Amino acid sequence: MATKKLGFVIRTLPYKIEGSRLAMTHAISSQTVEIYLADGDLVEPVVCFIGDGVLNCLKSQQAMKNYGLTSLEQHIKNSLLLDLNVLICKEDVDKFGIKEEALIMDAEDIGGETKAKIVPYSEIQKAMESVDHLLFC
Amino acid sequence: MGKLTIGSFSSLVGSLSLDFAIKLSEAAIQKGHKVDLWVSGNATMLSKKGQKAFKDYSALAKKVQELVASGNLQVTACEACAEARGYHKEDTMEGVKRFSMDWYLASTFTADRVLHIGGD
Amino acid sequence: MKLGVFLSDYRTGAEVFDRLTADKLGIILVGNGIYNATIKENGKPSSVLDKKASYYVLSEDLESRGFSAANVDSRVKVVTYGDVVDLIFNDYEKTIWI
Repeated sequence: MATKKLGFVIRTLPYKIEGSRLAMTHAISSQTVEIYLADGDLVEPVVCFIGDGVLNCLKSQQAMKNYGLTSLEQHIKNSLLLDLNVLICKEDVDKFGIKEEALIMDAEDIGGETKAKIVPYSEIQKAMESVDHLLFC
Repeated sequence: MGKLTIGSFSSLVGSLSLDFAIKLSEAAIQKGHKVDLWVSGNATMLSKKGQKAFKDYSALAKKVQELVASGNLQVTACEACAEARGYHKEDTMEGVKRFSMDWYLASTFTADRVLHIGGD
Repeated sequence: MKLGVFLSDYRTGAEVFDRLTADKLGIILVGNGIYNATIKENGKPSSVLDKKASYYVLSEDLESRGFSAANVDSRVKVVTYGDVVDLIFNDYEKTIWI
């Protein structure tokens, strides 16, 4: 039985390119990866938002209304509903002058219990060092 | 020798990032390694059959098929991303597989090295 | 950690690139990232080259853009795709693409 950890480090803005969206959907697919693996083997993702990537975490995204498209907000909430570890870089949030209440921190409205965490970059660095593979998106 | 898993979201023709992925795959295979190439998002274009080679554009289909035929490159396209773009199973290049996103994560489980080339 | 960074752009990614640290850091300039190895602006080489790291530039991408090894900053080693494979498997346990 083994667990491999993947670090999805999201640094790009949403919607113009699909890097952040695909990072989220791939991370969420960890829920079903076991069908390909031996019994007890797992892939555990951690999702880190850094740089411009923290802007994926803003609330009130209206992508569905305007483009008929699932928003990054919904993907992030789904990941929290599935208890994924979501880290948001504090320095980048502060740089943009964003307050915590403007960010997607939980998925309580859809029954989720796990919260996102705003952490110093040093914690994200530790997460990067702790995983088996890094996927910068 | 080892296994390299490469994941790419980059478009075919216009970006050259997929060209990089294929050339790196070839170099890795020449050194005795095996390669899994996962194409998702716009990179699923690579999986489509019927690509024509023109000198003004990247032409990767022939090289992909050669490397797949060697048994050392596995190319897998994200089924949902392909279908969203109108590429159905019958449109898929011979030798290229289609699976859901969890396939990529499973590939990284057994990979010695992973290089993820994000979307552009 | 031993981290290999594929830098594929000339202008973008700085805010992420600047913060990258590792016990052993390798910067592999590919695609438009090769301009960091060859171009000076206002007489100054790219600040990308100022990190404490080992630097490499992909010869195929260098030549595709009209440069040769003679144009490359002395801090940067010119490598082929084959060399890059060796760097990935032998030198850097994790690799990222910016």
